[in-house]
Amino acid sequence: MKNGRFFVGLVGVAAVVAWLMWTGISDSMVYYLTPVELMARVDEDPTFHEVGVKVSGRVVEGSWERGARGTGTHRFVVGDLERPEVLFTVVYEGVLPDTFNDTAEVVLEGTYGTDGVFGAHTVLTKCGSRYEAAEEELAA
Amino acid sequence: MTVLGEIALWIALPVALWGAIVSFAGGRTGRGDLVLSGERTVHVLTLLLVVASLGIIAAFLGNRYEYFYVANYSNRELDTYFKVAGLWAGQRGSLLFWTLLLSGFASIAVFRNRRRNREFMPYVSGTLLGLLCFLVIVLLFADVNPFERMGFTPANGRGLNPQLQNYWMTIHPPTLYLGFTSFAVPFAFAVSALLTGRLDSRWIAVTRRWILLSWFFLTVGIIFGMRWAYEELGWGGYWFWDPVENASLLPWLTATAFLHSIQIQENRGMLKVWNMGLVVTTFLLTLFATFLTRSGLIESVHSFAENLRIAYIFLGFMGGLAAFSALLIVHRLPSLRSENQIQSFLSRESAFLFNNLLLLGITFAVAWGTLFPLITEGLFNQKINVGPPFYNRVNIPIGLILLALMGIGPVIAWRRASPRNLRRNFTLPLGAAALALAVLLATGVRHSMALATFTTSAFVMTIVVAEFWKGTKARARIAGEGALRAFASLVKRNRRRWGGYVVHAGVVVVFTGLAGAAFDTAVVQELAPGEAVTVRSAFGNEYRLVYESLSHSRPRVAEDARENDWRWTALMTVYRNGEPAGIVRPERRFYPVMDQSSTEVGIVSALLEDLYVIPSDVDLDSGSDRVVFEVKTLPLVPWIWSGGLLVAIGAVVGLWHPAPVRARIPRRQGVGGPLPAGAAGQMS
Repeated sequence: MKNGRFFVGLVGVAAVVAWLMWTGISDSMVYYLTPVELMARVDEDPTFHEVGVKVSGRVVEGSWERGARGTGTHRFVVGDLERPEVLFTVVYEGVLPDTFNDTAEVVLEGTYGTDGVFGAHTVLTKCGSRYEAAEEELAA
Repeated sequence: MTVLGEIALWIALPVALWGAIVSFAGGRTGRGDLVLSGERTVHVLTLLLVVASLGIIAAFLGNRYEYFYVANYSNRELDTYFKVAGLWAGQRGSLLFWTLLLSGFASIAVFRNRRRNREFMPYVSGTLLGLLCFLVIVLLFADVNPFERMGFTPANGRGLNPQLQNYWMTIHPPTLYLGFTSFAVPFAFAVSALLTGRLDSRWIAVTRRWILLSWFFLTVGIIFGMRWAYEELGWGGYWFWDPVENASLLPWLTATAFLHSIQIQENRGMLKVWNMGLVVTTFLLTLFATFLTRSGLIESVHSFAENLRIAYIFLGFMGGLAAFSALLIVHRLPSLRSENQIQSFLSRESAFLFNNLLLLGITFAVAWGTLFPLITEGLFNQKINVGPPFYNRVNIPIGLILLALMGIGPVIAWRRASPRNLRRNFTLPLGAAALALAVLLATGVRHSMALATFTTSAFVMTIVVAEFWKGTKARARIAGEGALRAFASLVKRNRRRWGGYVVHAGVVVVFTGLAGAAFDTAVVQELAPGEAVTVRSAFGNEYRLVYESLSHSRPRVAEDARENDWRWTALMTVYRNGEPAGIVRPERRFYPVMDQSSTEVGIVSALLEDLYVIPSDVDLDSGSDRVVFEVKTLPLVPWIWSGGLLVAIGAVVGLWHPAPVRARIPRRQGVGGPLPAGAAGQMS
């Protein structure tokens, strides 16, 4: 017996876990990009328009057109966090999260169409920076 | 009071430093006075940290918004209840709270073991004080001091995140923290065992109940978190595979593995190095869960503050601890040799080992998925995320094997299972599983993973029930007791074993509840008062919800508002199959100080399923009372909570003190006298 069986078991489990992980990653991996990176990607390779991506950015103030009654279609513009001049329009059908407003930092999942409109199927808001304000902000 | 708290925190630094130094010095030189001084220091430190924490709570209650931390997590209108909980609402306070809990547990450990386990104690208190010393230094110097004042006093605080203004959220973090911090005690004993060279299973016997205690808190804490997500995040889910959730799951997984592998060491003298590795890994993961995820190093919608500096400090500290522990283990390798070998694949050792490998496999996969964006960014300069499908793909199959092992492990024989042992224990459960499968197929269930879960659950549950039944029957026959009495004394005689069975039964119920998600149904509909919506559940129940009215508490003049939040409450009457089944009050709240709204769902719970009502869209401005509702039926969700309760009960049974800790030896009895039965080994 010795330690042989132990290692066979170890290798077996490791192989199964690795296989599950490998297939799991190829099924569900999503590029996580900033708007600047997204623009660079599609310029380089137009087929990237069809690839599902995750993009983080900030909603441009005043750009939010509310959809009709909850399940309607929302439109808003999202800009890069560091270079706000890089932006695109987002269309999203469904209920936006409670914390969504027109200055929110958001994470979008969906595809960036050839028409320059990002069709989002998921919109998440990041609360991070809002919750711990800088001292200057509190003074205001 | 707050100033006093701040002073206490400053005094804590030299005190902790002194304690750590004298404890280690006392351990090395064997000087009792130093050791004693170190042990007393632990209690002094706890007292100082209590004062510091009370200082923060006082600042919250007194609306002291000149304190940066208070200004960020409170406002005048906030409930007193949530103000007290402000201590752990943000990173700074959490860090102080964590330190306090660690110190409290250190005090208990030192107090309980001061006479019993003298040989371990200097290094145990030294290790714990060293950890505390590090935490106090971080609190004071790493830009996270909760006592930091600003040069001015804002009129009001910025308020507490609406999603955190929920009962479960106030008890979820402290419970998890209790689990994290209490695990420092087994870690400290392991380090002490390595330093002193007492490497038999003594340190495990001493900390066995600490490990279970920590596991209990972690389990309950995770379930509270699921409950919070279920009620507060408002889409009918309870687990998101979010980095923060994953991080709390990681130490739970390794602690679960550890809880099982120590039994092999205690019974068969094997896996010594493995256990040392597990205790260190689990402790490091508790640090990871508390600090790294909150720091923003890993992108998460849950990270409420970004402070990369803290992340690097903790990363460095964890690296140091890992290297130190690894060196110690390598140094002691010759004394950590296994006393036995695995004899057969069909044995309890093998089942436990397999359980450990699978739990570690899940741990690795979850950690990998959580860190994947960091890994790919490091390697390819490109963040790539993996979503829930990744976790489900890996964890559901492995989870199912673990579920089956939960039945097999406790009843298969040690060393080598005989065909007779296998036949006796597994014929009935396999039959029950086959029967369950046949019934499910006959009723039209076709979801493969759900079928696998329900079938395996039937298998394990039958084993657990059969064990209780056999045990009670045997006991009743031998002791001539009635069934109930026999059952009670059966459990009392071996709480650990029978408590373990109850935990396993609870986990089976939880798994069954999780599989219910395969059969959710949902309807979205806009309603005017008087209109109704109908939804049918997987169990064939038809729910009809009549929307009666919408009431709101918004004041006429916004400036007059003295409330923390304004509420728009919909009233709905629920009929199940035509019979009245209660009312729900789903709600939208607006928090003027935060300028945010939140959704409060309405839930009607039954034995088999939940009806879950989300007010998706309420018009807060126009005064219209037309509301868009999303109505879901969620089969077996109540089983998750009751299964969780069962797990907790089982853990408490296992934790309950075995009658006498150490049988008292009458003073007069000579040293050479026979020890009363049970005097050896039964220590905690």
